[in-house]
Amino acid sequence: MLIFTLRRIAYTIPIMLGVSLVCFALVHISPGDPLVSILPPDASVDLQQQLMAIYGFDRSYPEQFIRWLSRALQGDLGNSIATGRPVTSEVMNAVGNTLILAVTATIIGFTFGGLFGFVAGFFRDSWIDKLASTLAVVGVSVPHYWLGMVLVIVFSVELGWFPATGAGPGGSSQWSWDWDHLRHLVLPAVTMSVIPMGIVARTVRALVADILQQEFVTGLRAKGLLDRGVLAHVIKNAAPTALAVMGLQLGYLLGGSILIETVFSWPGTGFLLGQAIFQRDLPLLQGTILVLAMFFVILNLVVDVVQSALDPRLQRG
Amino acid sequence: MAVAQTDFDTLATADKPQGYWRGVGRRFLRDKVAVAAACVAGGMILMAVFAPWVAPQDPFQGTMIRRLSPIGSEGYPLGADELGRDMLSRLIYGARLSLFMGVTPVLIAFLIGSAIGIAAGYAGGWVNSIIMRVLDVFYAFPSVLLAIAISGALGAGILNGLLSLTVVFIPPIARVAESVTTSVRKLEYIEAAVASGASAFTIVRVHVLGNVLGPIFVYATSLISVSMILAAGLSFLGLGVSPPNPEWGLMLNTLRNAIYVQPWLAALPGVMIFLTSISFNMLSDGLRSAMDIKQ
Amino acid sequence: MSDAILSAHNLVKHFHAGGWGAARKVVRAVDDVSFEVAEGETLGVVGESGCGKSTTARLLTHLLAPNSGEVRYRGRVAGTEVPLKTFRRHVQMVFQDSYASLNPRMTMLDAVAFGPTVHGIDRAEARRRAGALLERVGLDPARFGPRYPHEISGGQRQRVNIARALAFDPDVIVLDEAVSALDKSVEAQVLNLLTELRRERNLTYIFISHDLNVVRHISDRVMVMYLGEVVEIGPTRTIYDRPRHPYTGALLAAMPSLDPDRRTLEAPLQGDPPNPIDPPSGCRFHTRCAQAHGPCPLHAPGSIAVGHRHIAACHLNAVPEAAT
Repeated sequence: MLIFTLRRIAYTIPIMLGVSLVCFALVHISPGDPLVSILPPDASVDLQQQLMAIYGFDRSYPEQFIRWLSRALQGDLGNSIATGRPVTSEVMNAVGNTLILAVTATIIGFTFGGLFGFVAGFFRDSWIDKLASTLAVVGVSVPHYWLGMVLVIVFSVELGWFPATGAGPGGSSQWSWDWDHLRHLVLPAVTMSVIPMGIVARTVRALVADILQQEFVTGLRAKGLLDRGVLAHVIKNAAPTALAVMGLQLGYLLGGSILIETVFSWPGTGFLLGQAIFQRDLPLLQGTILVLAMFFVILNLVVDVVQSALDPRLQRG
Repeated sequence: MAVAQTDFDTLATADKPQGYWRGVGRRFLRDKVAVAAACVAGGMILMAVFAPWVAPQDPFQGTMIRRLSPIGSEGYPLGADELGRDMLSRLIYGARLSLFMGVTPVLIAFLIGSAIGIAAGYAGGWVNSIIMRVLDVFYAFPSVLLAIAISGALGAGILNGLLSLTVVFIPPIARVAESVTTSVRKLEYIEAAVASGASAFTIVRVHVLGNVLGPIFVYATSLISVSMILAAGLSFLGLGVSPPNPEWGLMLNTLRNAIYVQPWLAALPGVMIFLTSISFNMLSDGLRSAMDIKQ
Repeated sequence: MSDAILSAHNLVKHFHAGGWGAARKVVRAVDDVSFEVAEGETLGVVGESGCGKSTTARLLTHLLAPNSGEVRYRGRVAGTEVPLKTFRRHVQMVFQDSYASLNPRMTMLDAVAFGPTVHGIDRAEARRRAGALLERVGLDPARFGPRYPHEISGGQRQRVNIARALAFDPDVIVLDEAVSALDKSVEAQVLNLLTELRRERNLTYIFISHDLNVVRHISDRVMVMYLGEVVEIGPTRTIYDRPRHPYTGALLAAMPSLDPDRRTLEAPLQGDPPNPIDPPSGCRFHTRCAQAHGPCPLHAPGSIAVGHRHIAACHLNAVPEAAT
């Protein structure tokens, strides 16, 4: 187990390096001068040179990369060009809000998706199974930002039950688990939960159907389909894979929240990313993406290790 | 020659030799959902191609007094947008850019990703390892994030949008291509081809391509749905297509401020994205089961 | 021997089986195997599954590169002295799985015609020849030429595979369990076809099989392999009548009777062969040998000549009386 974990970590390190290289390259594939948004249009060549030196853009690429990486390792992702504030603190602030949203969405999605998949797997080819697989297809085919708009139209505009935008009275920095804040969370979280719901339902359905076909269970089923032994066996065997899928989905949501956050003006990383794009704030863009991608890589690592701890057969891969 | 006549085991002989694709076509046509999906997707494509003939009005020409006319207004069956342009015509014309932005990246990624994956799978060994580890890096980004990161860095524009989506879809396609090729490469008919003295290039061209492109293509079609959503999503964020071009994602973006005035009108472009995306998804599912490819 | 058409010289093939550095594990699939085949001769190769027969076949046809050792064609080293492409025209192979060895998207005629086109024969001519070859192996080209592999039976597919090998006009064909997957009646027909073709075209066969009856029927000489090594090689009659290696003896003793009512599918020996990752010391057979004694676990017996063109790797033969 320890060896597996170490090997898995060793495998992750080059991936992380590659990810940071891609993030570093983002600034350099962007057209035009990276300083264009802070330079006055009539800036002298001298001033330009000075700023280039301050931001380190006058050095060779490998040198810039190493300098950037070593600073990033110490938690310094540079300063936002638009606001001048440190990127790290801006991102960390936003990550908290995104996590609240993504974790809530994952829990909702997993609960309902798991339930649906479970029932569908138990009663295969019944109407509930067909409904579940239809919902799964809808779940992966629906443009979630549009679904967000539709929910706003129904529940905010028409019914007035929930607010359409924002994160509550505390603004972007102060979240608390009271109703004033929670009612802001409902619509974005439900919208977001649709993404993992379909995938979780599909996975759990396949797992359950597969387990029920095993000979051992066929014997147990003689006692009745809803016998406690059967249920326990199915849950025990389906859980590791289902949890792994849940973990990975959380990662996707963290990275994919930008569109939903934009719809609901939720002050998370996606919203930050949107700002960075429009103000052409490249350090902010770079830092946000780096943090999100690292989250995703580490989450993958954790999911792998936890899953193989639950199911040692997987350690052979 | 007595040997030939006394061959007992002629059970499997059909009367006429059947090509593989004929069987696929037959199975596909039996799948009602897939056929329906194919009709919707085909309809969208026809609509895009014949937009000038189908659309009742000019999608660029707005009338100020018609701004945000509700659905069902006279002369504007689906209403008018925030600049008073006919919604129906814009939705019809929107199929052009939306489909183009959704399908093109997958097609290009299919070509490039297949080439990379087949090369890696056929070469095996360390060549394979290097290629696959590089792809792993791109895999470490959630696809939405990678698409937005690249087009965010490159800036708005159709070409930048296409480029970023293509980059997003190359790694998954290459990965599938690699695994399919690796499994085909182990089969004895490839060994027999090697034993014929043919070059690697000839073997790939004659014996590998025909057996791997089908599954890779089916996988690629399953990405069209995602690509449609992502492409429209980029335009929704203000990346990708820029105004005044009709494109569903962009229309959703510009109408977003109108949800308090004409809520259902504002949601219309999303219906188109959803319809297209789900029909491509089901089309791909039908194709997969018709070709009998395990997921 | 100068009249050998194909010979193996100290072939070694190890497969990496996990682990790195000091913990690196290898499967010794083929370990120091040497033998030769004369023109027009059929050499049978027998042994339990996992003994390295198939790996030997792939080394002989250069589908696998050996870790060390070489294959010679008419005395010249394949891959260096004989270019691989030329070598492949002369040495062909027929595989066990008749279905997997045919491209599922290729018609039978194209499958047979592919080889010659690789060697510069134009398509029309290659197809014409392919038609003639299909005819020769007993398949009507008009009827079977346009078919796909899944549309014909196993016996018919194996005939196509034989035709495909013949299309190169080879001298040597390595048949790796080529008839093992077929029904008995079909197997007999394919064997007859192989015998006819050998006579007609002066072919040399290396016939690999786990079925000792079939090997006896078709081979001039027999080679017995155990755990990647050659344990005995000699003329068919001698091997079957007076085996000089206990392993050969055990295989023959467990051989199914020709009487169909008494055929068994029992393994020829008790127990499974030892793990080839970590083979026994000395003579690799000593762990299962009824006659194992003093020197067996200590050192490998080496090849001992026990008769005319008859070699057995067993310490029992090391006494002077063996040199007849």
